[in-house]
Amino acid sequence: MTSIPHESESSADTAMPVSALQRELITKELRETLRDRRTIITLLAMPILLYPMLGLGFRFLAVQESAQTNPEVRLGFATEQEAVWLREILERGDRLLQAESDSDPRAKNSPTVQYMMLENPDKAGLRNNVASGQADLGVRVRWKGKRPNRASLDADITFIRKTNSQFSQDAAAYVEERLRVLELETLTQRVKQIDGDFEPPLRQSTEWIEGKESTSAILGLLPLVLLLMTVTGGVYPAIDLTAGERERDTMETLMAMPIPKFRILLAKFVAVLTVTLMTGVMNLAAMTATVFALSLETTLFGEQGLTLVLGGQLFWVLFVFAVFYSAVLLVLTSSAKSFKEAQAYLIPLLLVSLTPGLIIFLPGWKLDQTTSIVPVINMLLLARGLFEGTAMWLPAVVATVSTLLYSVAALALAARVFGADAVAVGSRGGWSDLWRRPQAEQARPESATVLVTMAALFPAFFVASGLLGRFAGSSMTVRLVSSGLLTVTLFATVPIAVMIWRRVRLSSGLALHGASPLAWIGAVCLGLSCWPWVFELVVSLQSWTLDSLDETKRQQVEALLQAWRAIPLPIVVFCLGILPGVCEEVFFRGFLMSGIRSQANGRTSIVAAAVAFGVFHIVLAGGAAPERLLPSTLMGLILGWVTWSSGSILPSILMHCIHNSTLLTIASLRDELTGWGLGTVEQSHLPTTWLLGSLAGTAVGCLFVWIGSRGKGPTI
Amino acid sequence: MITLNRLTKHYEDDVVAVEDLSFSVAAGEVYGLLGPNGAGKTTTLRMVLGLLEPTRGDASILGHAVSSEPMMVKRQIGLVSASAGLYQWLTPREMLHYFATAYGLSANRIAERTETLTKLMDLSRFLDRRCATLSTGQKQRVNLARALVHDPPVVLLDEPTRGLDVVGSQVVFDYTDLLRSQGKAIVVCTHQLDEAERLCDRFGLLHQGRLRYEGTLLELTGETGCQTLVEMFLKLLDNDAPSGSDS
Repeated sequence: MTSIPHESESSADTAMPVSALQRELITKELRETLRDRRTIITLLAMPILLYPMLGLGFRFLAVQESAQTNPEVRLGFATEQEAVWLREILERGDRLLQAESDSDPRAKNSPTVQYMMLENPDKAGLRNNVASGQADLGVRVRWKGKRPNRASLDADITFIRKTNSQFSQDAAAYVEERLRVLELETLTQRVKQIDGDFEPPLRQSTEWIEGKESTSAILGLLPLVLLLMTVTGGVYPAIDLTAGERERDTMETLMAMPIPKFRILLAKFVAVLTVTLMTGVMNLAAMTATVFALSLETTLFGEQGLTLVLGGQLFWVLFVFAVFYSAVLLVLTSSAKSFKEAQAYLIPLLLVSLTPGLIIFLPGWKLDQTTSIVPVINMLLLARGLFEGTAMWLPAVVATVSTLLYSVAALALAARVFGADAVAVGSRGGWSDLWRRPQAEQARPESATVLVTMAALFPAFFVASGLLGRFAGSSMTVRLVSSGLLTVTLFATVPIAVMIWRRVRLSSGLALHGASPLAWIGAVCLGLSCWPWVFELVVSLQSWTLDSLDETKRQQVEALLQAWRAIPLPIVVFCLGILPGVCEEVFFRGFLMSGIRSQANGRTSIVAAAVAFGVFHIVLAGGAAPERLLPSTLMGLILGWVTWSSGSILPSILMHCIHNSTLLTIASLRDELTGWGLGTVEQSHLPTTWLLGSLAGTAVGCLFVWIGSRGKGPTI
Repeated sequence: MITLNRLTKHYEDDVVAVEDLSFSVAAGEVYGLLGPNGAGKTTTLRMVLGLLEPTRGDASILGHAVSSEPMMVKRQIGLVSASAGLYQWLTPREMLHYFATAYGLSANRIAERTETLTKLMDLSRFLDRRCATLSTGQKQRVNLARALVHDPPVVLLDEPTRGLDVVGSQVVFDYTDLLRSQGKAIVVCTHQLDEAERLCDRFGLLHQGRLRYEGTLLELTGETGCQTLVEMFLKLLDNDAPSGSDS
């Protein structure tokens, strides 16, 4: 079967620089979108109209909430005599309560009591007045004598209350509480007259604390409103720029252009994202203006109000959310053949998006290790955390990274679907193409395949690493085996299985080629020499700003090093040095870099794989180490360059294995090295001579690889 | 310049869209790929453009195979699609600039080509008006200009006169004559057989995905005994009627 090869960057031999071409593509999409009045209406008019209305609604709710915290108790009486007597009794009870607990925060919200005389002071009249809601509680007082005795509590009190009214219950509770405390005090005094040492047997006291959860339902609703309103801005452009191409009959001429589809879709993505972000900014501005105009800042955001920092943080959440939704919108609309079909896809999406917004209202939902990798929910919880001031760094970073990875994967899928069935009447392309196994063998995995795999792997790795952290109490053998299994499964088995499914030739897809002897020598030099500066960089980052290795973690690392001593060093090196070295290279420099290379140039594929390598290294078993991002990314760049220059991942596998093994060996032989006067490699800085030697070794290694690659073009 | 070698397209449900289609078109020649609706004309064009993957066979443009050099092939082709699909919110000038950039032209070359095509297709009156406000004829002129913006050696026209009045159709005829005089290789797909007689130098009669007759009008007349393309087609349809199936 003859097949059309991938539309690679290299084959797009345009006279114009790629960046200028991309700019022109984006400009066209933005013109198309922003000149359309319907877009502007959604962009400007909706927030301007919506937020003042929502603000009024919120203020009404806030007033209701305030009313609930400052309730009114309406007591109904048949005679003035009864009302005056009870008022005096309740005031005495009130004073006793305040004396009992002067730090009661409810005291400042104590209800206003209304004493109401009824027009028909008979028995039925009082009942009717309570039943009809004129009074919350009817009170009838009968004294032993005909006249009330102020000093005495000797009276029969009857309450008339409704069974189905919260107000009636609250009013009764208010009166009963005061009567009870007064009754207890009176009894105590009387007993004391008999027994001077008498004390009530049960002495109660209450400690009041501030809850962490938001007590305001409005505050919980705000992130959902803000994020969903932002998304609505991107809906119309997403439909117009994808399904609209088909309705305008411009898809065929678009697809006939000598440009990879991914570039065309990237331009559309930028346009949709721009409109979505503009909508987000408009929403944020309208919300801010409404909050200040209606004086809701303290009600909604507490004492600190809506600060600039909070605004910036919210914009960041909006940005990540907009990136994600723009990509998802394009996935759905790219496969639609008409506006109508696209709308049919998007309505369920918006409804599904509402569900997480409602789920987070359930008790116990917060941004943690699990929820931070769940799309949509993670960003909603992050937004709520920012509103409440309870957001934590690690889950926030994981939520952001995972959402951005899902976005990249969604965009790659959209590029696969976009235009697939639009160009041909009767063509059977589209969604089914995504899952259909190719008939012909391929040299490289498709970029969509690798990006989707990576997006799925990151949360899996994060969760699996968290589970590994639970083995902390297990034996070292169990921990080593589970760590090895995790590495082999995620970084080797999964990509190789995906490549076999997609009929990718493993030798070319993973760049399993031979390399020049000089490339091998260079890899050995780099493997032996890189670790000191990598280590120094980690230590420096820890000491400068990102001191994530606190005392507890130091103790854990110390315990880990001690535990290693019980296991033969070769086994430790194999499980934690060689296996990750081989498997991570298979994934990052083989599978990922090769897949990205099918749509981008060599430099881009090296950088992308290196950044992914760095991001994955932030995650540790049971925690995170952000200080590893930069050193790991730099290592990823060198490993990528070695692969690119030598045309094979084998030298980078060797380099990675030597690097890991050297670090592990030095860590295991730490005491011996210190004993031999070779310096200490704990958290303190390395000797300058070591660092200079390391940099020199790295330079020599690079030189060898470079010389070895001269005269032969890269083969990946 | 254009060579099709046993180009075949089968869909999954065993529908034969195109079967073993081979022909070639020389520079300065207008080849009419004719056939009723569903004959496989548009499918053929899309395979030549690299938009559809053939089941078998290959096509090449100026020696570049679609299967191995799809981008190079796309760069050699100007496509006039069946409908004058334009971007409603762009002006003809912006559209020409967009497509010229996409085909890799430099800024100077874009300005030069825009000026040439504006004169050639008489676009000056509406060059800076939004495409949504143009008449059908004006839209077709912009569409024809867009296809030529990168000065391709090969032009594919898919039902170029569909929906056009007499004046609009005449623009297409003049356009085709001009391309012929410039030495471009042209393929015109149409089921308007009378128009094809005026437009084309050579014909391929496609029916149910197969090329039934090929040659000049004179050669086809001799082969079929019919005087016009319409008569030839009616005869073809009559012959195939009992076993006919739609592609």
